[in-house]
Amino acid sequence: MRKLRRTRKQRRMRMQRLAVFSVLAGLLLLTALFAEQLCPYDPYMQDYGSVLSAPSPAHPFGTDRFGRDMLSRVIAGARTSIFSTLVLVGIISVSGTAAGVLCAYFGKWTDAVVMRIADVCLAFPGLVFALAVSAVLGGGTGTAVIALAAVSWPKYARLARSRTLEIMSSDYLAAARLAGDAPGQMIVRHILPNIAGQILVTAVLDMGTMMMELSALSFLGLGARIPTAEWGSMMSGGRSMLQTYPWVVLAPGSAIFVTVAVFNLFGDALRDCLEP
Amino acid sequence: MKRVKPVLEVRDLTVRFTQRDTAVDGVSFQLYPGEILGIAGESGSGKSTVARAVTRLIDAASGEIFLKGAPITHVTGKRQRAVYRDIQMVFQSPAGSFDPRKTLGDGIGESLGNTGMKRSEVRERVGELLRQCGLGEEFAGKYAREVSGGQCQRAAIARALAIRPDILVCDEAVNALDVTVQKQIIEVLKDLQQEYGMSYLFISHDLALMQSFCDRLLIMQKGKIVEEGTADEVILHPKKEYTKRLMEAAFLFG
Repeated sequence: MRKLRRTRKQRRMRMQRLAVFSVLAGLLLLTALFAEQLCPYDPYMQDYGSVLSAPSPAHPFGTDRFGRDMLSRVIAGARTSIFSTLVLVGIISVSGTAAGVLCAYFGKWTDAVVMRIADVCLAFPGLVFALAVSAVLGGGTGTAVIALAAVSWPKYARLARSRTLEIMSSDYLAAARLAGDAPGQMIVRHILPNIAGQILVTAVLDMGTMMMELSALSFLGLGARIPTAEWGSMMSGGRSMLQTYPWVVLAPGSAIFVTVAVFNLFGDALRDCLEP
Repeated sequence: MKRVKPVLEVRDLTVRFTQRDTAVDGVSFQLYPGEILGIAGESGSGKSTVARAVTRLIDAASGEIFLKGAPITHVTGKRQRAVYRDIQMVFQSPAGSFDPRKTLGDGIGESLGNTGMKRSEVRERVGELLRQCGLGEEFAGKYAREVSGGQCQRAAIARALAIRPDILVCDEAVNALDVTVQKQIIEVLKDLQQEYGMSYLFISHDLALMQSFCDRLLIMQKGKIVEEGTADEVILHPKKEYTKRLMEAAFLFG
């Protein structure tokens, strides 16, 4: 009885944790969505009267070397950084899952060909591949997303494939076959609903990593282009001033830190609730 | 007397998992309308593999399977799905045979929905089937994890019956349940057989149970049929040493 009560208490605490982090993640998404309305100044307006001014009530995060308000640029950067991450994670989780499920379901040469391609992608260092893609397609956020998507989908393909194989050997899929389900029906009714939870948790936990990688590409000058407000490129632009005007680097850096932390904790909480 | 045609005929069936690993080796038998045919044998003797081969869940390496005279050994796609209007199966693990994300009612009604029946009709029919198998209609909204093994197996029987098959394959369908529940499930199966006149392919290792339930028995060892005859013949006068050993085990612990 005591054990039962404790698990119930644990479950309630898990739900509370999930609620807190989903609210925080939701706030970040809202910030990204309403970036334009939330910015106190135009993030691209240069003001040579107040170049590199320290944080003050007028400019809570200070200004950069063109006198642009850092707070406004961090908020505007949320849109670029968070949305490109969302698009990236959306692309890799959906395409990876589709590839994995189809490989496991149809097997034979489909499986062999697709999984070998996945192995090749997995063996390629992401940044090197991104360099190559940028060289061909030119820089920009879109290119960075494509480059990272190309090397990140195999993780989902592998997860979806192994889970699908597990489900396919289960009696309930045999029962579905006996009920006269066509292959598509079996995938939609029985396989996808049973792997969706794990894929979702992996995707949310991946948000942090992918945001860091996108920022890293921007930092190297391969992602978002100047003057686009994007956290990685903002840090890159201010790196020479780290010791003299630290707020230029610290503001976008903290934004990345906070966002990555919130999405990771949200992913953890989601996993605890979905996979007890 | 006019000869009755078998509903299911298996000729020289061989199933291999790998080139060396032959699970079923040249098995032949007939199942006649309204008959209860038992397949017994120790675990690993290939009896469940026979069940999965005749339901086309696994492919035969050689041999032929005829359902009502038509060959089904290599049917795929639509024609394979059509086979399942005549042949259904009850699995060993009741909970494992229901999708954990779907209710029992969803599972039971799935085959009916696939035939194009309206949702309201399916719901009505599911309630009817549950009542027939000794469960209340409220079980349609429950998940497999929320009910006992016996209740779940009753739901699995309801699912197998939904499409009114001619043949029901029971693969160790009662062996995971405790003895009193086993009896109840056997009673349900007997009643349904009398009502619909289905044929059963009843797979088990429990000879004591099979003596009272089956008309004919096949004894399998290492993928081959080593003995066959009426249930009483095989159990009261076993010819093979292997069958005697199986009997001793069944009546000692059963």
